[in-house]
Formats: sequence, structure tokens, C-alpha cells
Amino acid sequence: MTRLTQYFDMRPRDALGALILVLLTMGLPLVIANDYHVNVLVLVFLYAGMASAWNILGGMAGQFSLGHTAFFGTGAYTSTLLYNFAGVSPWIGMVAGGLLSMVFAVIIAYPAFRMRGVFFAMATLAFGEAIRILLIYSRKHVDMPYGLSINWEPAFGNMIFEERSSYALLAGVFLLIVTLTAYGLSRSHAGIYLRAIRDSEEAAVAAGIPMRRYKMIALLISAFFTSAGGTLLAQYVLYIEPTTVFSMAYSVDLPLMALLGGIGTVAGPILGAFIALPLRDVLLDLFGSGAAGLHLVVYGVLLMVIVIVLPSGLIGGARSLLSWLTRRTAARKSEDT
Amino acid sequence: MQLALQLLLSGILLGGVYALAALGLNLIFGVAKIVNFAHGEFMMLGMYAGFWLMTLTGINPYWGSPLIAVAFFVVGAAFYWGVMRFTIYSTELTQVFATLGMSIALQNLALVMFSADYRTIQTMPDGRSSIDFGFVHLSSDRVIAFLFAIAIFVGVILFLRRTFTGRAIEAVSQDLMAARLMGINTQKIFLITFGLGIGITGVAGAVLVPSFYAFPSVGTFFVLIAFVVVVLGGLGSVTGTMIGGLSLGLIESYVGYFSPDLKEATHFILLILLLAVRPQGILGVKGAEKESLK
Repeated sequence: MTRLTQYFDMRPRDALGALILVLLTMGLPLVIANDYHVNVLVLVFLYAGMASAWNILGGMAGQFSLGHTAFFGTGAYTSTLLYNFAGVSPWIGMVAGGLLSMVFAVIIAYPAFRMRGVFFAMATLAFGEAIRILLIYSRKHVDMPYGLSINWEPAFGNMIFEERSSYALLAGVFLLIVTLTAYGLSRSHAGIYLRAIRDSEEAAVAAGIPMRRYKMIALLISAFFTSAGGTLLAQYVLYIEPTTVFSMAYSVDLPLMALLGGIGTVAGPILGAFIALPLRDVLLDLFGSGAAGLHLVVYGVLLMVIVIVLPSGLIGGARSLLSWLTRRTAARKSEDT
Repeated sequence: MQLALQLLLSGILLGGVYALAALGLNLIFGVAKIVNFAHGEFMMLGMYAGFWLMTLTGINPYWGSPLIAVAFFVVGAAFYWGVMRFTIYSTELTQVFATLGMSIALQNLALVMFSADYRTIQTMPDGRSSIDFGFVHLSSDRVIAFLFAIAIFVGVILFLRRTFTGRAIEAVSQDLMAARLMGINTQKIFLITFGLGIGITGVAGAVLVPSFYAFPSVGTFFVLIAFVVVVLGGLGSVTGTMIGGLSLGLIESYVGYFSPDLKEATHFILLILLLAVRPQGILGVKGAEKESLK
């Protein structure tokens, strides 16, 4: 019990943030009626959840993974295969996929955790690609069709719903659970250890932190939730194929959102997803009438600019703006006296 | 026996091509310590440059390569001056995402300008597309690309060893601070390195378009190949790049013969295994930032 209160010993601004998030995730699906907007909402919630999951490993622990598509795709495939060929409910499939992703995570951790920074990124990127190629390869030997569709049979047990807003609620709950985990982690000892590892591995080890164990914990949590996100998205789209669910786009998009909002913070990835996805839609509206892909050219350029101008994301930018303002007011005051 | 020889020679040719595809990446990494995730996209643009040059003017990419080299040198220098200059002292994260942003922009720019069609060109008249040595057959285009690779590697090594600028580049790659104290204009060196790296990458793309299809997302394939080559051969090492390329080409040639579907997976599994078995040896993670051009 003391442990729990310790976890939820929130600062006022955290409590405010939590309130806003609960209102957003639980309120918006009920308020918004437009089908298109609900669709955006589902995707934003799912991406926000997965970006938060990525952020546990990439932001808090500083292990910059570019291979999360492996976990995402594993989640999507495990639940879909179990559902289509064995009739297992996706709810169970989601957990099974998450566990399988954790197994993969342990396998990749062995070589990858020996590396740092950009080398870790390259190794995880290669891992994500290898999984996709192996899947396409093994498919031929088991007579699995290239794409898998899930029959639309709405039922709670099938994790298929009549209304889009139900999906939005489900995605909202997912986001809340991931956020709660991330918040709990960041406020716990483990979170402090992870930040220490991120800031200096040598210092962390010298201080007696069991580095590999804590990196592994971050990776396992991150893999599990990313995988769950894969199941949820597969149940929403009802169609998967190797090139789309094991696409490098997920590996890039999740860290991108975390970075945009503020890497390593709990709110950052959520903020990033709430901005990046609609931004892409807005750009599509603005430039979509031109040639296909033009909006992504603008998106790429914007990304470069944002990364250079605000390397610590919107939250980091807001923080430095705030501290600059306080310093300036303080300086003004001392001038006046 | 004959088969083994055929596989050996095809592997060497392919390896040379892979080495050429990775050289620009490794050069930029060695000097500026930046892993350019947009590397594959510059290669893709080089392929299109070769394609359009041939299609529009009839000049084949081999003769047109000096022109492409100059054009891509300018592109690379502009990339440095316009974007990477601001990230050179930033965190790795910023660098990764600045180059990833470039990669997204360029890939989609190619989609807008050239559509998603697969394109290739035929440089050799019918009947001369392969060279017959009696016991083995080799694709003429691959042989020419391989010769280009050798020439460019020799050129780069001579440039780095024999010219003043080349030695300055090497100095910057070994110790940035010391190079500055010796009065080397490091901004200029970075600019030249990016120009050189992207210039080579552009030529690599152009001479490969007769034997590989060009399409907007082809860069993803080549950037991963380049990573594998660079990690195999050693980060920041020019000769290592050649060795890494040849090893990968040979492995792919033999694996590809026995199990064509697994060819691509081999690259990545190889990369991961290599990192697992000899993380500090070949890759030199800990000292990687101190690795210099050899």
C-alpha cells in the first residue's frame, strides 16, 4: 500500500495532466460524432500509446530503438493468426503476442545492449527488417496467404465493434494504461535508475545500478505494449500483411512522436502523437491535391526543422521559454530596485 | 567446380558494388561522426540521375558519371550547409532525426517527381549484356560497376593520403579538436566530406541503375546494405569498407544460390550475430567515435 501511494504521490501539475488525459481519452470518443474525426482519434490514441511505450525504452532509458516494428508486427500477427486459424479471442491473442514480443526482445537484447546510441539504433533496425523477411520466407512453407483479413463479426470477445467510437474508447483505455505505467515507472526507483543509465552508463554502473536488468525491464515493458498496440490496430483495420505491419514506418514514427513532444517525459509522446498525426492529415489536405507524397515532403522538411530548432521537443522548448521568462522578469525586478 | 567459380566471381562483383554503395556513408561517419540515415535516398537520386541522363540525352551513366559526381558533390555540400551544419555538435538523436527527416522528404520527392514506377536502363546493345569467359558468364554492367568501385576506392585513398585537403580530412577524423588547433577550417572540411560522400553515393547509384531497378523507396534497401557493409568492415575505414562489401557479396552469392528467399535475411542476421560475437572487435562500439580513416 505504501508502495502504491508512493507511485501515485502526484504533484499538482501531474494530477492536472492526468485529469486532462482522462477527459480526452474517455470524453472525446463520446463527443465526436464525425466518422472521419473518430478515425483520427483512434489512430492518435493508439500511436500515442505506442509512442509512450517506445519512450519507456528510448526516452527514459535512452536506448534508441529503431526496430519497434518487430514488436508491433508480432502483436498484429500473433493475435490475427490465433483468431483466424484457432478461433482464439484477440484479447488472449493480444497477451500471447505481447509475451512472444518479450521473447523476441530478450533475443535482440543480448547483442543490442552491448551497443550504444546510433549503433543500438542500427542493430534494432536490422532486427526489425530481419523479422519481416523471415516471416515472408516462412509464409511460403506453411501456405499462409500474403495478406490476412479478419471477418467482420462484431462481438466483445472478438474485439470487433459496430461503432467506431467503441474502438476510440478501447484505444483510449490502452493509452491510459501505458501512460499510467510510464508515469509509475518514472516516479519509481526504476525510473531513476533508467535516467541514470541514460545519462551515463559508467556512472550508473559505478553507483551499483544493475544496468542490464533495468535496461531489460524497460525493453520488456516497451515491447509488450507496442505489441498490444499492434493487436489493437489489426483488430481495427481488420487486414494485415507483412510489408504493412512490419513496415519501418512504425519504427520511425513512434520515436518521432516522442521526440516531437519531448523525449523522456511522460507527456511528451502523447503530445507528439496528438500533433504529428493530425499535422500529417492537415498537410494531406493542403498538399494532397497535388501529387501523391507531396505532403510527406513537407512533413520531412518540417521534421528536420523541428529537430534542429527544438531538439528537446515541445515540452523542452516550453520549459526553456518559461525559465527564460522567469529569468528576464527577475532581472527586470533587480534593475528596478 | 565451375559453379563454385561462377558464384565466387559474381560474389566479388556484387561485393564491389556493395562496397561502393557504402563508401559515402562510411566516409561521412568517419569524419563527421554522423550516421546518415538519408544515405539510401541520395543513392536513389543517383540512380534516377543516371536513368534520366540516359533517357533524355542518350548519354549512358558511365560516361556521364563525372557530371553526376559534380552535381551530387554540390547536393551533398548543400545538405551539410543547409541542414547538418546545425546538428554537428548536437546529440546523436538530433542527427538521426535530421537525416531521417531528409530521408522521408527525398523519398516522397522522388515519388512526386518520378512516380512509383520501377525503372531501369539498358546500356549494352543486345548480345553484349554479358561477358563470356568460356567457363563463367558475367554481366557487363556489373563488371563496369565493379571497375568503377575499384577506381573510386583507389582515388579516395590517394586523395586522403596524398593531397593536402585529404590529409586535413584525415586529421579531422582522428581528432577534431587537435585539427582545429592546427588551424584547419573544420567547417570547410565537413562541407567537403559531405560533398565527397554524397558525390560518391550519387555515382554509385548512377552506375548501378543498369543492374538494379530504381524506385522511390529503393534507398531503404541500400542503406541497410550499407550499414551491414560498414559494420562488417569497420566504421570509418575505407579499406574496411571494401573488405566488408566483398564479404557480404560473397556470402550473398553463396546463400542466394542455395536459398534465394533467405538472401536478404542473411544480411541482418549476419549483422546481429557479428555484433553479438564481436561487439568491440569489428565494430568497436566504445571507441567508434575515436575510429579514424585508415
